[in-house]
Amino acid sequence: MNFFKELTKGIIKENPIFVIVLGMCPTLAVTTSVKNAIGMGLAATFVLLCSNIIISLIKDITPSSIRIPIYIVVIAAFVSVVNMLMEAYVPALHKSLGLFIPLIVVNCIILGRAEAFASKNNVIMSAADGIGMGLGFTLSLMVVSTIRELLGAGTWLGIKILPATYDPMLVAILAPGAFLTLGFLMAILSMVKEKKQ
Amino acid sequence: MMYYLKLGFILLIFCVVATGILAYLNTLTAPIIQDRKTKDEIDTREKLIPDAVFAADSTASGMQYFRARAKEDSTLVLGYTFICSQKGYSSEVKTMVGIDKDFKVLAIKVIDQAETPGLGANCEQESFSNQFKNLAEADLKVDKDGGQVVSLSGATITSRAIASSIQAGIAAIKASMGAEL
Amino acid sequence: MTYLGEIFVMAMTAIFIQNFILSRFLGLCPYLGVSKKLDSAIGMGLAVIFVMTLASAFCYLIDIFLLRRFGLEYLQTIAFILTIAALVQFVEMVIQKNAPALYKSLGVFLPLITTNCAVLGVAILNTGMLRSDGTAYNFLDSVLNGFFSGVGFTLMLLAMAGIRMRLEMVEMPKSMKGMPIALILAGTMALAFYGFMGFKI
Repeated sequence: MNFFKELTKGIIKENPIFVIVLGMCPTLAVTTSVKNAIGMGLAATFVLLCSNIIISLIKDITPSSIRIPIYIVVIAAFVSVVNMLMEAYVPALHKSLGLFIPLIVVNCIILGRAEAFASKNNVIMSAADGIGMGLGFTLSLMVVSTIRELLGAGTWLGIKILPATYDPMLVAILAPGAFLTLGFLMAILSMVKEKKQ
Repeated sequence: MMYYLKLGFILLIFCVVATGILAYLNTLTAPIIQDRKTKDEIDTREKLIPDAVFAADSTASGMQYFRARAKEDSTLVLGYTFICSQKGYSSEVKTMVGIDKDFKVLAIKVIDQAETPGLGANCEQESFSNQFKNLAEADLKVDKDGGQVVSLSGATITSRAIASSIQAGIAAIKASMGAEL
Repeated sequence: MTYLGEIFVMAMTAIFIQNFILSRFLGLCPYLGVSKKLDSAIGMGLAVIFVMTLASAFCYLIDIFLLRRFGLEYLQTIAFILTIAALVQFVEMVIQKNAPALYKSLGVFLPLITTNCAVLGVAILNTGMLRSDGTAYNFLDSVLNGFFSGVGFTLMLLAMAGIRMRLEMVEMPKSMKGMPIALILAGTMALAFYGFMGFKI
Protein backbone atom coordinates (compact mmCIF):
# COMPACT_ATOMS: atom_id res chain seq x y z
CA MET A 1 0.00 0.00 0.00
CA ASN A 2 2.75 2.32 1.04
CA PHE A 3 4.69 1.34 -2.05
CA PHE A 4 1.81 2.39 -4.23
CA LYS A 5 1.57 5.74 -2.47
CA GLU A 6 5.24 6.51 -3.14
CA LEU A 7 4.74 5.53 -6.74
CA THR A 8 1.84 7.86 -7.44
CA LYS A 9 2.66 10.90 -5.33
CA GLY A 10 5.06 12.26 -7.95
CA ILE A 11 2.39 12.36 -10.61
CA ILE A 12 0.02 14.85 -9.02
CA LYS A 13 0.46 15.59 -5.34
CA GLU A 14 4.20 16.24 -5.41
CA ASN A 15 4.61 16.81 -9.13
CA PRO A 16 8.25 17.91 -9.55
CA ILE A 17 7.53 20.65 -12.07
CA PHE A 18 4.16 22.14 -11.23
CA VAL A 19 4.21 21.72 -7.46
CA ILE A 20 7.84 21.59 -6.30
CA VAL A 21 9.05 23.73 -9.26
CA LEU A 22 12.36 21.95 -9.89
CA GLY A 23 14.17 21.18 -13.11
CA MET A 24 12.94 24.18 -15.04
CA CYS A 25 15.72 24.27 -17.64
CA PRO A 26 14.91 21.04 -19.47
CA THR A 27 11.19 21.69 -18.99
CA LEU A 28 11.44 24.85 -21.01
CA ALA A 29 14.19 23.88 -23.41
CA VAL A 30 13.20 20.47 -24.75
CA THR A 31 9.43 20.89 -24.91
CA THR A 32 9.51 22.16 -28.48
CA SER A 33 8.07 18.83 -29.60
CA VAL A 34 6.31 15.95 -27.85
CA LYS A 35 8.92 13.50 -29.10
CA ASN A 36 11.75 15.42 -27.46
CA ALA A 37 9.73 15.73 -24.27
CA ILE A 38 9.14 11.97 -24.02
CA GLY A 39 12.79 11.23 -24.77
CA MET A 40 13.99 13.66 -22.13
CA GLY A 41 11.44 12.44 -19.59
CA LEU A 42 12.38 8.80 -20.01
CA ALA A 43 16.11 9.54 -19.90
CA ALA A 44 15.66 11.47 -16.66
CA THR A 45 13.42 8.73 -15.24
CA PHE A 46 16.09 6.13 -15.94
CA VAL A 47 18.76 8.21 -14.23
CA LEU A 48 16.45 8.98 -11.32
CA LEU A 49 15.53 5.33 -10.81
CA CYS A 50 19.12 4.03 -11.00
CA SER A 51 20.61 6.76 -8.84
CA ASN A 52 17.87 6.40 -6.24
CA ILE A 53 18.51 2.64 -6.01
CA ILE A 54 22.30 2.97 -5.75
CA ILE A 55 22.19 5.85 -3.28
CA SER A 56 19.73 4.02 -1.11
CA LEU A 57 21.99 0.94 -1.17
CA ILE A 58 25.11 2.85 -0.18
CA LYS A 59 23.48 5.15 2.36
CA ASP A 60 25.09 3.33 5.30
CA ILE A 61 28.64 3.52 3.97
CA THR A 62 28.56 7.15 2.79
CA PRO A 63 30.16 9.59 5.23
CA SER A 64 27.69 12.44 5.58
CA SER A 65 30.30 15.17 5.06
CA ILE A 66 31.07 14.06 1.49
CA ARG A 67 27.67 12.68 0.57
CA ILE A 68 26.91 15.38 -2.02
CA PRO A 69 30.06 14.75 -4.12
CA ILE A 70 29.37 11.02 -3.96
CA TYR A 71 25.79 11.51 -5.11
CA ILE A 72 27.05 13.68 -7.93
CA VAL A 73 29.51 10.99 -9.04
CA VAL A 74 26.78 8.33 -9.01
CA ILE A 75 24.36 10.56 -10.94
CA ALA A 76 27.00 11.70 -13.43
CA ALA A 77 27.95 8.08 -14.12
CA PHE A 78 24.36 7.14 -14.95
CA VAL A 79 23.93 10.24 -17.08
CA SER A 80 27.00 9.26 -19.09
CA VAL A 81 25.54 5.78 -19.49
CA VAL A 82 22.29 7.25 -20.83
CA ASN A 83 24.25 9.57 -23.09
CA MET A 84 26.22 6.71 -24.64
CA LEU A 85 23.20 4.42 -25.03
CA MET A 86 21.17 7.17 -26.67
CA GLU A 87 23.95 8.07 -29.06
CA ALA A 88 24.22 4.42 -30.08
CA TYR A 89 20.55 3.50 -30.42
CA VAL A 90 18.49 6.68 -30.89
CA PRO A 91 20.93 9.06 -32.62
CA ALA A 92 18.28 11.46 -33.94
CA LEU A 93 16.82 12.03 -30.49
CA HIS A 94 20.32 12.30 -28.99
CA LYS A 95 21.08 15.00 -31.51
CA SER A 96 17.96 17.05 -30.88
CA LEU A 97 18.25 16.91 -27.09
CA GLY A 98 21.93 17.76 -27.42
CA LEU A 99 23.39 19.66 -24.49
CA PHE A 100 20.45 18.81 -22.25
CA ILE A 101 21.41 15.16 -21.84
CA PRO A 102 24.68 15.86 -19.96
CA LEU A 103 22.81 18.59 -18.11
CA ILE A 104 20.55 15.96 -16.50
CA VAL A 105 23.40 15.79 -13.96
CA VAL A 106 22.50 19.21 -12.59
CA ASN A 107 18.76 18.68 -12.83
CA CYS A 108 17.75 19.62 -9.30
CA ILE A 109 15.06 16.93 -9.23
CA ILE A 110 17.59 14.11 -9.23
CA LEU A 111 19.96 15.45 -6.60
CA GLY A 112 16.92 16.65 -4.67
CA ARG A 113 15.34 13.20 -4.53
CA ALA A 114 18.68 11.61 -3.64
CA GLU A 115 19.10 13.96 -0.70
CA ALA A 116 15.48 14.15 0.43
CA PHE A 117 14.31 10.60 -0.13
CA ALA A 118 16.79 7.93 -1.24
CA SER A 119 19.32 8.69 1.49
CA LYS A 120 16.69 8.05 4.15
CA ASN A 121 14.58 5.18 2.78
CA ASN A 122 15.07 1.57 1.75
CA VAL A 123 15.73 0.38 -1.78
CA ILE A 124 12.18 -0.58 -2.76
CA MET A 125 10.67 2.70 -1.57
CA SER A 126 13.45 4.66 -3.28
CA ALA A 127 12.88 2.85 -6.54
CA ALA A 128 9.15 3.60 -6.32
CA ASP A 129 9.91 7.23 -5.56
CA GLY A 130 12.29 7.40 -8.53
CA ILE A 131 9.77 5.93 -10.96
CA GLY A 132 6.94 8.08 -9.62
CA MET A 133 8.89 11.31 -9.77
CA GLY A 134 10.27 10.40 -13.18
CA LEU A 135 6.82 9.71 -14.56
CA GLY A 136 5.49 12.92 -13.06
CA PHE A 137 8.32 14.77 -14.75
CA THR A 138 7.69 13.02 -18.08
CA LEU A 139 3.94 13.69 -17.96
CA SER A 140 4.46 17.37 -17.15
CA LEU A 141 6.89 17.68 -20.05
CA MET A 142 4.32 16.05 -22.30
CA VAL A 143 1.60 18.47 -21.23
CA VAL A 144 3.77 21.52 -21.91
CA SER A 145 5.08 20.14 -25.20
CA THR A 146 1.62 19.13 -26.41
CA ILE A 147 0.43 22.72 -26.09
CA ARG A 148 3.56 24.13 -27.69
CA GLU A 149 3.66 21.70 -30.58
CA LEU A 150 -0.07 22.08 -31.31
CA LEU A 151 0.08 25.86 -31.32
CA GLY A 152 3.49 26.21 -32.93
CA ALA A 153 3.36 23.56 -35.63
CA GLY A 154 -0.21 22.24 -35.64
CA THR A 155 1.05 18.71 -35.01
CA TRP A 156 1.25 16.17 -32.19
CA LEU A 157 4.14 13.72 -32.22
CA GLY A 158 4.68 14.83 -35.81
CA ILE A 159 1.11 13.93 -36.87
CA LYS A 160 -0.90 16.75 -38.37
CA ILE A 161 -3.79 17.50 -36.01
CA LEU A 162 -5.00 20.98 -36.79
CA PRO A 163 -6.42 21.68 -40.28
CA ALA A 164 -4.09 23.07 -42.91
CA THR A 165 -5.89 26.41 -42.74
CA TYR A 166 -4.40 26.91 -39.26
CA ASP A 167 -1.46 29.26 -39.53
CA PRO A 168 1.09 27.98 -36.97
CA MET A 169 1.90 30.39 -34.20
CA LEU A 170 5.65 30.09 -34.49
CA VAL A 171 6.28 31.92 -31.24
CA ALA A 172 4.99 28.93 -29.25
CA ILE A 173 7.98 26.83 -30.34
CA LEU A 174 10.50 29.63 -29.81
CA ALA A 175 11.96 30.57 -26.43
CA PRO A 176 9.30 33.12 -25.34
CA GLY A 177 6.52 30.61 -25.98
CA ALA A 178 8.08 28.23 -23.47
CA PHE A 179 7.92 30.76 -20.65
CA LEU A 180 4.43 31.95 -21.55
CA THR A 181 2.97 28.44 -21.85
CA LEU A 182 4.37 27.30 -18.52
CA GLY A 183 3.36 30.58 -16.85
CA PHE A 184 -0.27 30.30 -17.94
CA LEU A 185 -0.40 26.58 -17.10
CA MET A 186 0.77 27.31 -13.56
CA ALA A 187 -1.69 30.16 -13.19
CA ILE A 188 -4.55 27.86 -14.24
CA LEU A 189 -3.37 25.15 -11.82
CA SER A 190 -3.26 27.51 -8.88
CA MET A 191 -6.67 28.85 -9.84
CA VAL A 192 -8.11 25.33 -9.78
CA LYS A 193 -6.49 24.71 -6.41
CA GLU A 194 -7.97 27.92 -5.05
CA LYS A 195 -11.47 26.97 -6.19
CA LYS A 196 -11.19 23.60 -4.45
CA GLN A 197 -10.38 25.12 -1.10
CA MET B 1 44.39 14.42 8.84
CA MET B 2 43.63 10.68 8.77
CA TYR B 3 39.96 11.58 8.64
CA TYR B 4 40.36 13.67 5.50
CA LEU B 5 42.52 11.03 3.86
CA LYS B 6 39.81 8.48 4.54
CA LEU B 7 37.15 10.72 3.01
CA GLY B 8 39.29 11.36 -0.02
CA PHE B 9 39.93 7.65 -0.35
CA ILE B 10 36.22 6.80 -0.27
CA LEU B 11 35.48 9.42 -2.91
CA LEU B 12 38.34 8.11 -5.01
CA ILE B 13 36.94 4.57 -4.88
CA PHE B 14 33.59 5.81 -6.11
CA CYS B 15 35.22 7.67 -8.99
CA VAL B 16 37.32 4.67 -9.97
CA VAL B 17 34.34 2.32 -9.96
CA ALA B 18 32.25 4.79 -11.98
CA THR B 19 35.06 5.33 -14.47
CA GLY B 20 35.57 1.60 -14.82
CA ILE B 21 31.92 0.98 -15.61
CA LEU B 22 31.86 3.83 -18.10
CA ALA B 23 35.05 2.68 -19.80
CA TYR B 24 33.55 -0.79 -20.24
CA LEU B 25 30.29 0.61 -21.63
CA ASN B 26 32.22 2.86 -23.94
CA THR B 27 33.99 -0.11 -25.50
CA LEU B 28 30.55 -1.56 -26.17
CA THR B 29 28.84 1.50 -27.60
CA ALA B 30 31.70 3.25 -29.41
CA PRO B 31 31.84 0.71 -32.29
CA ILE B 32 28.04 0.84 -32.67
CA ILE B 33 28.13 4.62 -32.91
CA GLN B 34 31.00 4.48 -35.39
CA ASP B 35 29.29 1.81 -37.52
CA ARG B 36 26.07 3.75 -37.62
CA LYS B 37 27.84 6.92 -38.68
CA THR B 38 29.65 5.15 -41.50
CA LYS B 39 26.49 3.39 -42.59
CA ASP B 40 24.49 6.63 -42.53
CA GLU B 41 27.11 8.28 -44.69
CA ILE B 42 27.04 5.48 -47.25
CA ASP B 43 23.24 5.45 -47.31
CA THR B 44 23.03 9.19 -47.84
CA ARG B 45 25.64 9.06 -50.59
CA GLU B 46 23.66 6.39 -52.42
CA LYS B 47 20.50 8.44 -52.15
CA LEU B 48 22.18 11.53 -53.60
CA ILE B 49 23.54 9.73 -56.66
CA PRO B 50 21.67 6.43 -57.15
CA ASP B 51 23.03 3.44 -59.07
CA ALA B 52 26.65 4.44 -58.75
CA VAL B 53 29.93 3.03 -57.49
CA PHE B 54 31.87 5.41 -55.29
CA ALA B 55 35.61 5.83 -54.97
CA ALA B 56 37.26 8.12 -52.45
CA ASP B 57 39.52 10.86 -53.69
CA SER B 58 40.79 14.16 -52.39
CA THR B 59 41.57 17.57 -53.79
CA ALA B 60 44.99 19.18 -53.68
CA SER B 61 43.83 21.24 -50.71
CA GLY B 62 43.01 18.06 -48.82
CA MET B 63 39.22 18.08 -49.10
CA GLN B 64 37.84 14.58 -49.35
CA TYR B 65 35.23 13.75 -51.97
CA PHE B 66 33.82 10.71 -53.73
CA ARG B 67 33.78 10.13 -57.47
CA ALA B 68 30.62 8.37 -58.61
CA ARG B 69 30.83 6.06 -61.63
CA ALA B 70 27.90 4.26 -63.25
CA LYS B 71 27.40 0.68 -62.10
CA GLU B 72 27.15 -0.74 -65.64
CA ASP B 73 29.92 1.28 -67.17
CA SER B 74 32.85 2.16 -64.95
CA THR B 75 34.30 4.68 -67.39
CA LEU B 76 31.22 6.87 -67.15
CA VAL B 77 31.62 9.46 -64.40
CA LEU B 78 28.21 10.40 -63.05
CA GLY B 79 29.34 13.05 -60.63
CA TYR B 80 30.84 13.68 -57.24
CA THR B 81 29.69 13.78 -53.65
CA PHE B 82 31.30 15.66 -50.81
CA ILE B 83 30.55 16.84 -47.30
CA CYS B 84 30.82 20.55 -46.59
CA SER B 85 30.20 22.49 -43.44
CA GLN B 86 30.01 26.04 -42.23
CA LYS B 87 29.02 27.75 -39.00
CA GLY B 88 25.33 28.65 -39.11
CA TYR B 89 23.45 30.54 -36.44
CA SER B 90 24.14 28.42 -33.39
CA SER B 91 25.96 25.36 -34.71
CA GLU B 92 28.11 23.88 -37.42
CA VAL B 93 25.81 22.97 -40.31
CA LYS B 94 27.05 19.93 -42.25
CA THR B 95 25.64 19.13 -45.65
CA MET B 96 26.32 16.23 -47.99
CA VAL B 97 26.13 17.28 -51.61
CA GLY B 98 25.86 15.33 -54.83
CA ILE B 99 26.84 17.14 -58.04
CA ASP B 100 26.86 15.93 -61.63
CA LYS B 101 29.87 15.95 -63.92
CA ASP B 102 29.07 19.52 -65.03
CA PHE B 103 29.24 20.58 -61.38
CA LYS B 104 25.52 21.23 -61.08
CA VAL B 105 23.84 20.17 -57.85
CA LEU B 106 21.92 16.89 -58.10
CA ALA B 107 20.71 16.74 -54.51
CA ILE B 108 21.74 17.81 -51.05
CA LYS B 109 21.04 16.56 -47.57
CA VAL B 110 21.73 18.39 -44.34
CA ILE B 111 23.29 15.70 -42.17
CA ASP B 112 24.23 17.54 -39.02
CA GLN B 113 22.90 20.72 -37.42
CA ALA B 114 21.62 22.09 -34.12
CA GLU B 115 19.94 25.29 -35.25
CA THR B 116 16.93 26.94 -33.60
CA PRO B 117 13.90 24.60 -33.67
CA GLY B 118 11.10 26.05 -35.78
CA LEU B 119 13.49 28.32 -37.70
CA GLY B 120 16.95 27.19 -38.79
CA ALA B 121 16.24 23.56 -37.99
CA ASN B 122 13.76 23.56 -40.90
CA CYS B 123 16.77 23.34 -43.23
CA GLU B 124 16.43 19.55 -43.01
CA GLN B 125 13.04 19.69 -44.70
CA GLU B 126 12.78 18.67 -48.33
CA SER B 127 10.98 21.84 -49.35
CA PHE B 128 14.21 23.65 -48.57
CA SER B 129 16.76 21.16 -49.85
CA ASN B 130 14.89 20.45 -53.10
CA GLN B 131 15.37 23.98 -54.36
CA PHE B 132 19.12 23.36 -54.61
CA LYS B 133 18.55 20.93 -57.50
CA ASN B 134 20.20 21.97 -60.77
CA LEU B 135 21.87 25.04 -59.33
CA ALA B 136 25.32 25.86 -60.62
CA GLU B 137 28.13 27.34 -58.56
CA ALA B 138 27.19 30.94 -59.36
CA ASP B 139 23.53 30.52 -58.35
CA LEU B 140 24.34 29.17 -54.91
CA LYS B 141 23.48 32.26 -52.96
CA VAL B 142 20.42 33.15 -50.92
CA ASP B 143 17.88 35.50 -52.50
CA LYS B 144 19.03 38.37 -50.30
CA ASP B 145 22.50 38.11 -51.83
CA GLY B 146 21.16 37.88 -55.38
CA GLY B 147 21.15 34.08 -55.73
CA GLN B 148 18.42 31.55 -56.37
CA VAL B 149 18.02 29.97 -52.93
CA VAL B 150 14.90 31.18 -51.10
CA SER B 151 16.05 31.40 -47.50
CA LEU B 152 14.11 29.87 -44.63
CA SER B 153 11.91 32.40 -42.88
CA GLY B 154 13.72 33.82 -39.89
CA ALA B 155 16.87 31.86 -40.69
CA THR B 156 18.83 33.70 -43.35
CA ILE B 157 22.09 32.90 -41.57
CA THR B 158 21.47 29.17 -41.67
CA SER B 159 20.42 29.27 -45.32
CA ARG B 160 23.44 31.37 -46.21
CA ALA B 161 25.79 28.98 -44.41
CA ILE B 162 24.46 26.02 -46.38
CA ALA B 163 24.52 27.78 -49.74
CA SER B 164 27.98 29.23 -49.36
CA SER B 165 29.52 26.02 -47.98
CA ILE B 166 28.23 24.14 -51.03
CA GLN B 167 29.55 26.87 -53.29
CA ALA B 168 32.98 26.64 -51.71
CA GLY B 169 32.96 22.85 -52.01
CA ILE B 170 32.09 22.93 -55.69
CA ALA B 171 34.74 25.57 -56.30
CA ALA B 172 37.36 23.39 -54.63
CA ILE B 173 36.45 20.34 -56.72
CA LYS B 174 36.33 22.39 -59.91
CA ALA B 175 39.77 23.80 -59.17
CA SER B 176 41.25 20.39 -58.54
CA MET B 177 39.64 18.97 -61.73
CA GLY B 178 40.97 21.90 -63.65
CA ALA B 179 44.44 21.07 -62.44
CA GLU B 180 44.01 17.45 -63.55
CA LEU B 181 42.79 18.36 -67.00
CA MET C 1 38.67 40.58 -38.20
CA THR C 2 41.00 41.71 -35.49
CA TYR C 3 40.97 39.91 -32.19
CA LEU C 4 39.27 42.81 -30.40
CA GLY C 5 36.44 42.72 -32.92
CA GLU C 6 36.12 39.00 -32.37
CA ILE C 7 35.83 39.54 -28.62
CA PHE C 8 33.20 42.23 -29.14
CA VAL C 9 31.10 39.90 -31.27
CA MET C 10 31.49 37.17 -28.65
CA ALA C 11 30.37 39.53 -25.89
CA MET C 12 27.31 40.74 -27.79
CA THR C 13 26.34 37.17 -28.67
CA ALA C 14 26.76 35.87 -25.12
CA ILE C 15 25.03 38.79 -23.42
CA PHE C 16 22.21 39.66 -25.79
CA ILE C 17 21.67 37.46 -28.83
CA GLN C 18 22.15 34.06 -27.21
CA ASN C 19 21.46 35.07 -23.65
CA PHE C 20 21.91 32.09 -21.35
CA ILE C 21 18.56 32.47 -19.66
CA LEU C 22 16.26 33.77 -22.36
CA SER C 23 17.46 31.89 -25.38
CA ARG C 24 19.50 28.92 -24.18
CA PHE C 25 17.35 28.10 -21.14
CA LEU C 26 20.24 27.59 -18.78
CA GLY C 27 20.33 28.64 -15.14
CA LEU C 28 16.59 29.01 -14.75
CA CYS C 29 16.36 27.70 -11.19
CA PRO C 30 18.33 30.61 -9.65
CA TYR C 31 16.73 32.98 -12.17
CA LEU C 32 13.27 32.18 -10.83
CA GLY C 33 14.31 31.37 -7.27
CA VAL C 34 16.77 34.12 -6.29
CA SER C 35 15.18 37.04 -8.13
CA LYS C 36 12.79 38.19 -5.43
CA LYS C 37 15.15 40.73 -3.88
CA LEU C 38 17.63 42.98 -5.64
CA ASP C 39 20.51 42.63 -3.17
CA SER C 40 20.44 38.84 -3.15
CA ALA C 41 20.25 38.92 -6.96
CA ILE C 42 23.43 41.01 -7.04
CA GLY C 43 25.21 38.55 -4.74
CA MET C 44 24.12 35.55 -6.77
CA GLY C 45 25.00 37.25 -10.05
CA LEU C 46 28.53 38.13 -8.97
CA ALA C 47 29.11 34.63 -7.61
CA VAL C 48 27.91 33.12 -10.90
CA ILE C 49 30.17 35.37 -13.02
CA PHE C 50 33.12 34.40 -10.84
CA VAL C 51 32.49 30.66 -10.91
CA MET C 52 31.58 30.56 -14.63
CA THR C 53 34.83 32.29 -15.56
CA LEU C 54 36.90 29.95 -13.40
CA ALA C 55 34.97 26.86 -14.50
CA SER C 56 35.50 27.75 -18.18
CA ALA C 57 39.24 28.01 -17.56
CA PHE C 58 39.65 24.77 -15.62
CA CYS C 59 37.30 22.70 -17.74
CA TYR C 60 39.07 23.88 -20.88
CA LEU C 61 42.42 22.74 -19.48
CA ILE C 62 41.00 19.40 -18.37
CA ASP C 63 39.31 18.86 -21.70
CA ILE C 64 42.43 19.56 -23.76
CA PHE C 65 45.16 18.10 -21.57
CA LEU C 66 43.36 15.11 -20.08
CA LEU C 67 40.23 14.08 -21.93
CA ARG C 68 41.18 14.76 -25.55
CA ARG C 69 44.80 13.71 -25.14
CA PHE C 70 43.88 10.27 -23.86
CA GLY C 71 40.66 9.80 -25.84
CA LEU C 72 38.45 9.92 -22.76
CA GLU C 73 35.72 12.19 -24.16
CA TYR C 74 33.05 9.92 -22.75
CA LEU C 75 34.11 10.95 -19.23
CA GLN C 76 33.41 14.62 -20.00
CA THR C 77 30.23 14.91 -17.94
CA ILE C 78 31.66 13.30 -14.82
CA ALA C 79 34.99 15.13 -15.07
CA PHE C 80 33.42 18.56 -15.59
CA ILE C 81 30.87 18.29 -12.81
CA LEU C 82 33.52 17.11 -10.34
CA THR C 83 35.81 19.94 -11.39
CA ILE C 84 33.03 22.45 -10.85
CA ALA C 85 32.04 20.95 -7.49
CA ALA C 86 35.65 20.98 -6.29
CA LEU C 87 36.16 24.49 -7.63
CA VAL C 88 33.10 25.84 -5.84
CA GLN C 89 34.21 24.18 -2.60
CA PHE C 90 37.71 25.60 -2.97
CA VAL C 91 36.50 29.11 -3.79
CA GLU C 92 34.23 28.98 -0.78
CA MET C 93 37.11 28.07 1.53
CA VAL C 94 39.46 30.70 0.11
CA ILE C 95 36.90 33.49 0.33
CA GLN C 96 35.89 32.47 3.83
CA LYS C 97 39.49 32.68 5.07
CA ASN C 98 40.73 35.73 3.20
CA ALA C 99 37.74 37.94 2.60
CA PRO C 100 35.12 37.47 5.29
CA ALA C 101 33.16 40.50 4.11
CA LEU C 102 32.83 39.07 0.61
CA TYR C 103 31.98 35.68 2.07
CA LYS C 104 29.11 37.22 3.97
CA SER C 105 27.53 38.53 0.79
CA LEU C 106 28.39 35.67 -1.58
CA GLY C 107 28.77 32.71 0.75
CA VAL C 108 25.20 31.49 0.86
CA PHE C 109 24.98 31.37 -2.92
CA LEU C 110 28.14 29.40 -3.59
CA PRO C 111 26.84 25.91 -2.72
CA LEU C 112 23.82 26.55 -4.95
CA ILE C 113 26.07 27.18 -7.92
CA THR C 114 27.31 23.60 -8.24
CA THR C 115 23.88 22.59 -9.44
CA ASN C 116 23.40 25.69 -11.60
CA CYS C 117 23.20 24.28 -15.08
CA ALA C 118 24.58 27.51 -16.55
CA VAL C 119 28.04 26.65 -15.17
CA LEU C 120 28.18 23.10 -16.51
CA GLY C 121 26.44 24.36 -19.63
CA VAL C 122 29.09 26.94 -20.47
CA ALA C 123 31.88 24.43 -19.85
CA ILE C 124 30.34 21.91 -22.25
CA LEU C 125 29.36 24.55 -24.82
CA ASN C 126 32.92 25.92 -24.85
CA THR C 127 34.26 22.60 -26.09
CA GLY C 128 32.09 22.83 -29.19
CA MET C 129 32.18 26.57 -29.91
CA LEU C 130 33.78 27.91 -33.04
CA ARG C 131 35.27 31.28 -33.80
CA SER C 132 34.18 33.15 -36.91
CA ASP C 133 37.09 31.67 -38.89
CA GLY C 134 35.96 28.15 -38.05
CA THR C 135 38.71 27.18 -35.58
CA ALA C 136 37.92 25.90 -32.11
CA TYR C 137 37.97 28.19 -29.10
CA ASN C 138 41.37 28.65 -27.50
CA PHE C 139 41.98 29.11 -23.78
CA LEU C 140 41.39 32.87 -23.73
CA ASP C 141 38.23 32.56 -25.84
CA SER C 142 36.79 30.02 -23.45
CA VAL C 143 37.52 32.12 -20.38
CA LEU C 144 36.08 35.24 -21.99
CA ASN C 145 33.00 33.38 -23.17
CA GLY C 146 32.47 32.12 -19.63
CA PHE C 147 32.81 35.64 -18.29
CA PHE C 148 30.44 37.24 -20.82
CA SER C 149 27.86 34.49 -20.45
CA GLY C 150 27.95 35.13 -16.71
CA VAL C 151 27.47 38.84 -17.33
CA GLY C 152 24.46 38.09 -19.53
CA PHE C 153 23.03 35.87 -16.83
CA THR C 154 23.53 38.51 -14.13
CA LEU C 155 22.02 41.25 -16.26
CA MET C 156 18.82 39.25 -16.69
CA LEU C 157 18.76 38.30 -13.03
CA LEU C 158 18.98 41.97 -12.01
CA ALA C 159 16.33 43.08 -14.51
CA MET C 160 14.02 40.36 -13.25
CA ALA C 161 14.64 41.24 -9.60
CA GLY C 162 13.96 44.91 -10.28
CA ILE C 163 10.65 44.16 -11.96
CA ARG C 164 9.57 41.63 -9.36
CA MET C 165 10.19 44.07 -6.50
CA ARG C 166 7.80 46.50 -8.12
CA LEU C 167 5.29 43.76 -8.81
CA GLU C 168 5.03 43.17 -5.07
CA MET C 169 2.99 46.35 -4.84
CA VAL C 170 0.73 45.57 -7.77
CA GLU C 171 -2.70 44.09 -7.28
CA MET C 172 -3.30 41.04 -9.41
CA PRO C 173 -5.39 37.88 -9.39
CA LYS C 174 -4.23 35.61 -6.60
CA SER C 175 -3.57 32.71 -8.92
CA MET C 176 -1.09 34.77 -10.95
CA LYS C 177 1.10 35.64 -7.97
CA GLY C 178 4.58 34.19 -7.58
CA MET C 179 5.81 31.73 -10.20
CA PRO C 180 3.17 32.24 -12.95
CA ILE C 181 3.73 35.98 -13.26
CA ALA C 182 7.51 35.50 -13.08
CA LEU C 183 7.37 33.06 -16.00
CA ILE C 184 5.11 35.31 -18.07
CA LEU C 185 7.47 38.21 -17.38
CA ALA C 186 10.39 36.10 -18.53
CA GLY C 187 8.45 35.24 -21.68
CA THR C 188 7.84 38.90 -22.41
CA MET C 189 11.53 39.66 -21.87
CA ALA C 190 12.49 36.81 -24.19
CA LEU C 191 10.17 38.27 -26.84
CA ALA C 192 11.89 41.62 -26.49
CA PHE C 193 15.28 39.93 -26.81
CA TYR C 194 14.27 38.41 -30.13
CA GLY C 195 14.62 41.97 -31.37
CA PHE C 196 18.38 41.57 -30.99
CA MET C 197 18.34 38.90 -33.65
CA GLY C 198 16.85 41.32 -36.14
CA PHE C 199 13.95 38.97 -36.40
CA LYS C 200 10.28 39.81 -36.87
CA ILE C 201 7.78 37.45 -35.26
